[in-house]
Amino acid sequence: MTLDWFSLLLVAAIALAAPLLFAALGEVISETAGVINIELEGMMLVGAFTGIAGALASGNIAVAFASALAGGVLVAAVQGIACFIFGANQVVAGIVLNILALGATTFLLVSALGADVTKSAVTLERLPIPILSDIPYIGRALFDQSIAVYLAYLAVPAVWWLLTRTRFGLALKAVGERPAAAESMGVNVLKSRWAALLLCGALAGIGGGLLTLGGLGVFTPNVTKGIGFIALAAVIFGRWKPVGAFGAVMLFSLVDAFQIRAQALGLPIPYQLLVALPYLVTIIALAAFVSRMRPPAALAINYER
Amino acid sequence: MGSFSRLMQHRRGLAEGILVPVVSVVLALVTVAIILLMVGANPLTAYASMLDASFGDPYAVSNTAIKTMPRLLAAIGIAIAIRANLWNIGAEGQIYIGGTAAAGAVLVLPVLPAPMVPLVAIVAGGIAGAVWGAIPGFLRAYRGISEVITSLMLVYVGIQITQYLLEGPWAVPLSTFPATAPFEPYAKLPVLIPGTILNAGIFVAIAAVAVTWFLVDRTRFGLELRALGGNETASAYLGIRVKGMIVLTMALSGAFAGIAGAVEVVGIRGRLIEGFSPGFGFEAIAIALLGRLHPIGMVAAALLFGALDAGGAGLQTSARGVSSAIVMVAAGLSVGYVLIGMGAMDRRAKRRKARLALSRVDRQDTAATPEGKVAR
Repeated sequence: MTLDWFSLLLVAAIALAAPLLFAALGEVISETAGVINIELEGMMLVGAFTGIAGALASGNIAVAFASALAGGVLVAAVQGIACFIFGANQVVAGIVLNILALGATTFLLVSALGADVTKSAVTLERLPIPILSDIPYIGRALFDQSIAVYLAYLAVPAVWWLLTRTRFGLALKAVGERPAAAESMGVNVLKSRWAALLLCGALAGIGGGLLTLGGLGVFTPNVTKGIGFIALAAVIFGRWKPVGAFGAVMLFSLVDAFQIRAQALGLPIPYQLLVALPYLVTIIALAAFVSRMRPPAALAINYER
Repeated sequence: MGSFSRLMQHRRGLAEGILVPVVSVVLALVTVAIILLMVGANPLTAYASMLDASFGDPYAVSNTAIKTMPRLLAAIGIAIAIRANLWNIGAEGQIYIGGTAAAGAVLVLPVLPAPMVPLVAIVAGGIAGAVWGAIPGFLRAYRGISEVITSLMLVYVGIQITQYLLEGPWAVPLSTFPATAPFEPYAKLPVLIPGTILNAGIFVAIAAVAVTWFLVDRTRFGLELRALGGNETASAYLGIRVKGMIVLTMALSGAFAGIAGAVEVVGIRGRLIEGFSPGFGFEAIAIALLGRLHPIGMVAAALLFGALDAGGAGLQTSARGVSSAIVMVAAGLSVGYVLIGMGAMDRRAKRRKARLALSRVDRQDTAATPEGKVAR
């Protein structure tokens, strides 16, 4: 394992973190406002699917990402209708939406995209930043990625700013902690929660799109494989803060990058153990650190006037 | 999510208990028909051929029955957990671990008289599933971590364990597909009716329904379970050991999923094979909710989706994985409509209660005025 090996590890980790980062940041916004999205996985899965569908239909990467975003927003809208309008339990609705997303994307993959699942769509090109990308060892990892990856990292300070430095962000916080008090201060709880939820859907949809469009450009059934749940774990692990979630996402992505690179090394470890590693690390990380953390007070509780 | 399990149980009335799920299923089937229409299939011929392939002849009926069994078993386990307000969404992983343990039992055991080997295999599957379910239960009880995330994480770990064994120690030389060699007849659940594929696993499913009903509705354990589902803090005051109950409930929940996997392996597949559960554990969540956590309701819901799956083979567009995906869509839609229907009825009930309370206040006001009647 040379320095070069580590530099390649970093390249992989930073690229792998981007989809997770979009989803986790979206979920931070949503949970700050008291809305939990167990269907984060479903948002990503639908985004991954509609992203590929958009890419195949248009051949244009911008259209592809727009449709990935729309896919995530669609799932968020259904969640909002079920919970905010019909008063469904947020956790239950989220679990059901995951099932629906898994079934619908698998079915549509064969019947709408055509059985030819190997056909690959346009994918995202790398966009090296001149000079900076030539810095030895870290240049390629940080400055030779796709535009979506840069945006994912820029989204961390942006979401931090949104939540701590704007009226909108402070309103979300109030709505997530004491909705009744927020309402009496003139904040529209329902509107704020809708905004947070749809924003989360948009970000998770882009994250899902990045998963397929930033990679091989193919959609396979259940392509997300629990990534949405790892993002949910990252939000908890990151104490519902954008920067904290960023740290958690980086930890999980380094583990993921390590297991992929380790498979290539041909170590005498069963590759299945390596594949299972990110999931195990997620559980261990939660088990080791979570009990001292406090979620937003009104998380997952529907607001009724 | 405090009162969800209570909400589910308190709807014993005919209208809400049966009408809402039935209407929801019909709406879901109509929605699926529209989707089929949109992708260029004729929904009427599709449903006709599905009906034929699921109930058309004794073989078709037996096919429906065996496709119902694993779904029902896993749903029973999930429902037990929901009763205690625990969300075991990792049944899929417990199915894989259970099926794998069952195959392991078959591989280690010597040749024994007829039903011994599959029976021991099913017990092994149940124990393995219980262990896999107990882990998220333990983490929830003692570390305060949401069982939703950990049980789902363990799905992917479980699948990789199965995969490792199939490609490593249990791999069949020169085989291109990850699967054990087909089991000898002594290691399989016997077929009950010649000419069909109905196997003795159906007794396991029936027993599971009966045992659960007895356990939850007629024992002290069931009482504590339901108390836990109502209110955790109150349960602690009642002297219930909450942490132990959480672990035990999740283990029991996992045991049923493990048995589901074992029945699939020693009853239906007759070998351990890659991807032997195409999402039964996820669908089972929908079945538990659609069946309102009630044994009979869950039998009906599992039968519905078992029939859809069996019937999916009769579809013209039957590419690999399509039929089970349609079932998952139908299952998800049905439960989605149930949630919306329940929500709507809930809101209406609340509004009615509010109106009633308001009119009572009005009457009191009226009685208090000296003139007696005052127009509002």
